[in-house]
Amino acid sequence: MSEMIDPTVTAPADPAIGETESGRPIPKRVLYTRRFMRNKPAVGGIVIFVLLVLFAIIAPLIAKYDHIELDFLNLGTGPSAEHWFGTTSAGNDTFAQVAVGLQRSLMIAVSVSLGTTILSAVIGTAAAYFGGLTEKISLLIIHFMMVIPSFLILSLLSNKSGGDWRVIALIMIFVTGWFFPARVVWTTALSLREREYIHAARYMGVGGFKIVLRHLIPNIGSLLVINFTLGIVGAVMAETGLSFIGFGVKIPDVSLGSLIGEGANTITSAPWLFYYPAAALTLLTVSMALVADGLRDALDPTSAAGGRA
Amino acid sequence: MIKYLLRRTLGWLLMIVVATNLTYFLAWGFLNPRNNFVGRRPPLSEEQIVNLLEPRNLSDTVPIWERWWTWLSSILFHWDWGVSPTGGSINEQISYRMWVSAELVLGATIIMTVLGIALGVYTASRQYKLADRIGQGTSIITMNINPIVAGLALVLLAIAFNDLVGTRVFYVTGAASKGVEGFFPVLLDKLQHITLPTIALVITGYAGTHFLQRSLLLDNINADYVRTARAKGLTKQQAIRKHALRTSLIPVATQVAFSIPGIFTGAILTESIFAWNGMGKYFIETITKSDINGVVAVAAFSAVMVAIGAVLSDIIVVVLDPRVRVS
Repeated sequence: MSEMIDPTVTAPADPAIGETESGRPIPKRVLYTRRFMRNKPAVGGIVIFVLLVLFAIIAPLIAKYDHIELDFLNLGTGPSAEHWFGTTSAGNDTFAQVAVGLQRSLMIAVSVSLGTTILSAVIGTAAAYFGGLTEKISLLIIHFMMVIPSFLILSLLSNKSGGDWRVIALIMIFVTGWFFPARVVWTTALSLREREYIHAARYMGVGGFKIVLRHLIPNIGSLLVINFTLGIVGAVMAETGLSFIGFGVKIPDVSLGSLIGEGANTITSAPWLFYYPAAALTLLTVSMALVADGLRDALDPTSAAGGRA
Repeated sequence: MIKYLLRRTLGWLLMIVVATNLTYFLAWGFLNPRNNFVGRRPPLSEEQIVNLLEPRNLSDTVPIWERWWTWLSSILFHWDWGVSPTGGSINEQISYRMWVSAELVLGATIIMTVLGIALGVYTASRQYKLADRIGQGTSIITMNINPIVAGLALVLLAIAFNDLVGTRVFYVTGAASKGVEGFFPVLLDKLQHITLPTIALVITGYAGTHFLQRSLLLDNINADYVRTARAKGLTKQQAIRKHALRTSLIPVATQVAFSIPGIFTGAILTESIFAWNGMGKYFIETITKSDINGVVAVAAFSAVMVAIGAVLSDIIVVVLDPRVRVS
C-alpha cells in the first residue's frame, strides 16, 4: 500500500491477505481458491465444464460409431440403445457427432480466447505505457474495429477459408474479440503507468517493451484471467453463429453450430438432432460464465461477494 | 453543445465512409461475382460472362480503381448502390428489407433496455436479498444462452402451444401473412409474427443492461450525495429515482448504443431462424451469391446503425449530464 497510514485511524485490514489462526499469512493461491470455492454456482460451473471436457475427450473413444460413419439400418431414428442420441437422416450417429462437435467448438474457443487475450493485453498495455503516437494509433484502430461490422468481415474471410477450423480460429482472433478487451486493458493500465515500481524500473534503465511485458501485464493478471474465461463464451457464440449460417466449419468436420444448423431444418420431425447439441452448447457457455463470475469475485480484493478473506 | 454533437456526428460520418470503402476492397479480395455464371448449363463463354458483368460494374477485367470509382461516384451523385450479379437493384432490396429488420431490432432494443434498467434498479435496491439472487441467477443464464438455441427453443414451444390451444396463435415463419387487409387485422397479424423473434432477441440481450445498471446503481447508492438526499428527508425510493439513477444512467446509455451492432448480429441469426426477409437474411444471401455491391451496402447499413446508436448515446449523455451541457 502506497498511501500514508493515518495514526488516528486504525488501519483497515487488507481484505486480500487473510491470516490463519497461528498468524501466518495465507498464500495467495490458497486464498483465491478458498474464495472461489465459497461461490457455489461457480463451483457448479467448473464441475460442468470439466465434465463437458471429459465428455469431449472420452466419448469419441467409447462411441460405437464414428462421426462420419453411416449406419444405413438406422436413418433418422430417435435415441435408442444402439444410437444413444439418435441418428441423422443420412445415418450419422448423433452421439459421436455431438462429442466431436463439442471438441471442435472447445478447441476453437480456447485458442481464440487465448489469442485475443494475449493480443489485447499487449496492445492495451503498450498503448497505455508508451502514450503519444502509439496510443493515438492503437485507439484509432480499436475504435475503427468497433464501427466496422466485424461479423460481416468474419463471414467474408471465414467463408473463403474452406471450413478449416485452424484458419477460422486465426481469423477470429484478429477480426473479432480483441478490441473490446484491449480498450478495457488500456483504461486499467493507464492508472498503473504512474505507479512507483514502473517509474523505478524506467529509471533503472529497463527497456520499454520489457516494462510492458514484465511489470505491467503481470499486474493486470486477474483482469486477463477473467477476460480469458469470458472470451471463451464469446468465441463459442461467434463460432456457432458462423457455422449455423454455413460460413464456419464445413462438412465432414462438425461443430456445435453446424449440428444445430442441421437440426434446425428438422426441428419438428427429428427434434433430438437439435436437443443434444443445443444442451451441450448451453451448458458450455453458461458454465463458463459462472466460472468467470466466480473468478471475478475471488480475484477482486475489494469484492465483498466472496465473504471474508 | 450543438457544436459538440455536430463534431461527433461528422466524426462518425467519416468513419462510415472509410469503413464502407474498406469493405468494398475486402469484398473484392474475397468474393468473385464470376462464380454465379461459371457453373451454368449450357456453359457461358468467357466473353459472354464479361459482357454480362461489365455493364454491372462487377467484372474483374476492369482495374480495381476504375471499378471503385464507378461505384463510389454513382453513390455520391445518384445515390445508386449498384446492382447484384444477376442485375437486381441493391437500392430496392435495402429500402424494403431495412424496415423489416428495423421493426424487429428497434422494438427488441427498446424492450430489452427498459427491462434491463428496471430489473437493475429493482435488484440493486434489494442487494443480496432473495429477489436480487433470483434475478442475478436468471440473468446470468439467459445472457449466455445462444440466440440460436433461444430462437429454436421458442419455435418448439410455440408449436406445442399452438397445438395445445388448437389454433395458430404464433407464426414461426415470415414477417407477415399475405392478403390481410384493414388496420386491426394487420396489427394483429404483425403481432402474431413479431412476438417470437422479439422474445428471442430480448431474452438473450436484456441481461447485459441489467448487470451494468445494477452495479452502477450500487456504486452510487452509497455515495455522499445520495446520503444527503436521504438526510433531507427523501425516502429511499425517491433518493434512488431522482439522484442515484440519473448519474448511473449515463454509462448504461453508452453501452446500449454500442450494443446495437451486437443486436444486429443476433438479428442475422434470429431472422434466418424465423425466415424473415430482413437485412440479416440479405447479409447471408449476398455473401453466398458473391453479390459484392450488396455486401458493401449491408456493411454501410450496419455502420450507419452503429453511428446512429453512438450519436443517440451522445444526445442522451448531453441531456443527463450537466457537466457536458455546460462546457
